Amino acid sequence: MPDALPPDAVRKVARLSRLALAEEQVARYGEQLSAVLGYVERLRELDLEGVEPMSNPLDETNRLDADTPGGTIPGATFMRMAPEALPPFLKVPKVLGDGGA
Amino acid sequence: MIEQSRGPPLPAPPYHARMAAATPARSPAATHSYTEADIASVRLMVGLEVHVELATRTKMFSRSPNVAHKEFDGAEPNTLIDPVVLGLPGALPVMNKAAVEMSMMVGMALGCSIAPFTRWDRKSYYYPDLPKNYQISQYQLPLCFDGSVEMPVPAGGGGGGASAPDLPRRIGIIRAHLEEDAGKLLHEAPGVMGGGGGGRPIDFSLVDLNRAGTPLLEIVTQPDFSSADDVVLFAQHLRNICRFLGATEGVMQKGHMRFEPNINTIITLSDGRLAKTPIIEIKNLNSFKALRGAIEFELADQPRRWLADGREMGAGTKFTRGWDDQAMRTMIQREKEDAHDYRYFPEPDLLPVTVDDTWREEVRARIPELPSSRLARYRHDFNLGHKEAAALVDERDVCFFYERCVAEAQALGVDYPRAGKQAANMVLQSGAKRANERAVLASELGITPAQIAAIIKLREDDTLTSTSADELFGLLCEPGQSGIDAAQLATTRGMMTVRDEGALEKWVDQAIAENAKVADDVRSGKVAAAGRLVGVVMKLSGGTADAKVVREKVLAKLGQPIR
Repeated sequence: MPDALPPDAVRKVARLSRLALAEEQVARYGEQLSAVLGYVERLRELDLEGVEPMSNPLDETNRLDADTPGGTIPGATFMRMAPEALPPFLKVPKVLGDGGA
Repeated sequence: MIEQSRGPPLPAPPYHARMAAATPARSPAATHSYTEADIASVRLMVGLEVHVELATRTKMFSRSPNVAHKEFDGAEPNTLIDPVVLGLPGALPVMNKAAVEMSMMVGMALGCSIAPFTRWDRKSYYYPDLPKNYQISQYQLPLCFDGSVEMPVPAGGGGGGASAPDLPRRIGIIRAHLEEDAGKLLHEAPGVMGGGGGGRPIDFSLVDLNRAGTPLLEIVTQPDFSSADDVVLFAQHLRNICRFLGATEGVMQKGHMRFEPNINTIITLSDGRLAKTPIIEIKNLNSFKALRGAIEFELADQPRRWLADGREMGAGTKFTRGWDDQAMRTMIQREKEDAHDYRYFPEPDLLPVTVDDTWREEVRARIPELPSSRLARYRHDFNLGHKEAAALVDERDVCFFYERCVAEAQALGVDYPRAGKQAANMVLQSGAKRANERAVLASELGITPAQIAAIIKLREDDTLTSTSADELFGLLCEPGQSGIDAAQLATTRGMMTVRDEGALEKWVDQAIAENAKVADDVRSGKVAAAGRLVGVVMKLSGGTADAKVVREKVLAKLGQPIR
C-alpha cells in the first residue's frame, strides 16, 4: 500500500472537480486515490520502449459528418429542463471573472 | 507519485514553455537599484494567439446549426442546441468534415504542414458556459503546424508609390489547432428583457448556449513581433486570408475573431545589463483597437512595473491581464483557482483523423488566390500603388467585384492592364466615395460590373470625360438602374463627349467674348489663365466637351503655343 495522497493534493483535485469534501473524506479519499494511482503505477514494470501511445481502442479513423444542419432541441423545451431560467436564457448564480477557454 | 499522476505537462503554449525554460526564475523582490534614467532602450516582443470562429453551417461535433454562419446569425438565444451541444447523457460527438477542411485550408494558406495523424483531447474545467464541463480541443497533435506568413508591408512604411517595392515581413506560425467554442455569459440585463433597457446590473448571470460547440481554430504565432503596428497588420492580414478562404465571416463586433497577445519587453540598461520582463497574456481582445491599445500600454507599463518590483521573466512568472476598453489600460484579472490545471487526456469519444496526400492536395486545390498574391499582381500588372492595391484586397466582396469589372471590361475589348487600372479608379474613387456616404461596400451600390465595364470602355474610346464618367456611375447606382445600358444612358443624358467642331468653336468664342480681360491675359503670355476659359467652356458644354481639346483650341485662338 503506497502512502496516502497528501491532504492538500486531495483538496486541490476536489476543488478542480468542484466537489466539497468533509475532513474525514479528505483522509479516506487520499488513501483510495493512492491505491488507484498505485495500480496504474504497475505499468512502469512493463518495457514500453517503442510502443506507440494508443489514441483510441478502435482501429478506425475519419468518422466525419457532412456539414448539413440536423435537428435541434426547441428553446422552450430546454428552458423546462433547466433548474432555473429567465427565458430565453438559463439563469445561474452570478459569475465573476473570465472563462477558461 | 503525485507528480507522475499528472500526465503531460500543463498546457502552456510553446512560446511560454520555451521562454520560461530559458531563464531561471528571479526573486520577485526589487533586488536592483535602477531608476528610469538607467534604461537605455526597451525592445518589445509579442507572440499572438488568435481564435477564429469557422463559418461552417453546423457545429464542430454535432449538426446543430452554427451561429457563426450568416444563415443562422441572430438566432434566438438557446435555440441552436441539441443533445451533443448540451452534453446530455449518452450524446456522442461526430466530427464536422467541413471544419477539418476549412482548418486545413487556413493552415496551408499560412504555410503550415498538415499532420498526417491528429487526434482530440479533453480539457477539463467547470464553467456555466461549458455544458460538458470539458472542452474538446487538440493539445498534443494539432492539425496544422510549423508555418510562416509573409505580410506585405509597404516600403517606407507609408503610402508607397507605384514604383516602391513591398517589403514582406515573415511571421512564424507554431500551430493551428481545432477546438470547440464555449457558450456566452451575460452579466448585465440584455436588451430583450422587458423590451430594451439593456445594460442594467443584475445579481445573477445568464447563459446562452448558441455559440457552444462552434468550431474554433486557434492559431499561435512565434514571438516574432516587435511593434504593435506589425501585430495589428498581421491580425488584419490573417482576417483577410480567412475571409478570402470563406473560413470565417470575420465580423469583429460579433466575436468571430479574438486575440490574445503574449507580451514582454527586453530592457537594455545603461550599464549594459539586459532585463526581461515577465510575459503577460492579455485575454479576449475582439477589436484591432483593443489589440493595439493593450500592446502599447504594456510596452510603456512593463518597464515601470519592473522598476517597481524587479520581477523578471522565468518559470512561474507568467501573468494574465484583461483589457479595459474605456480606460484604455490592462489590469490584473481575478484568476480562477488553478486555471491552468486542465488535466488534458485523449478524447475517448472521437476517433483520430488521418490526412493522406490525396485528401490534403484535394483541399489545397480549393484555395483561391490569396489577398497578398492579388495585391502583388495588381501592383505589377496594373501599375497600382501599394495603397490602391491594398484598398482593393481589403474587403473580399469588393475585391471579387473589382475583378469582375476587370473581366467585363476585357470582354468589351479593353486591354488587361488598362482594364485593371481603370476599374481600380472606378471602384476606389467613384465607388468608394458613394460607399462611404451610404455606409455600404463599393460592391453593394447597385451598379453592376458590366455597367462599370461599359463606362471604362467609353472612357477608353475617349467618348466620356472623367466628370461625366463619375456622374454616369452615380446615375447607375440609383435604384432600378441595374438593367440599364450605360452607353445608352450616357447618350440620352447628353453626356457623351462632343466632337462636333462647330459646337466647340461656338463655345470657345463665347467664352473668350464674355471674358475679355482673361483672354487678354492669356494673349499677353499668362498661359495659366487659360484654365479659367476652359472651365467656362466646360460649363457651357454641360461637361460634355473634352477639356484637353478645349484647352488646345483656346490657346490656338489666343495665339499661344500649345504645351
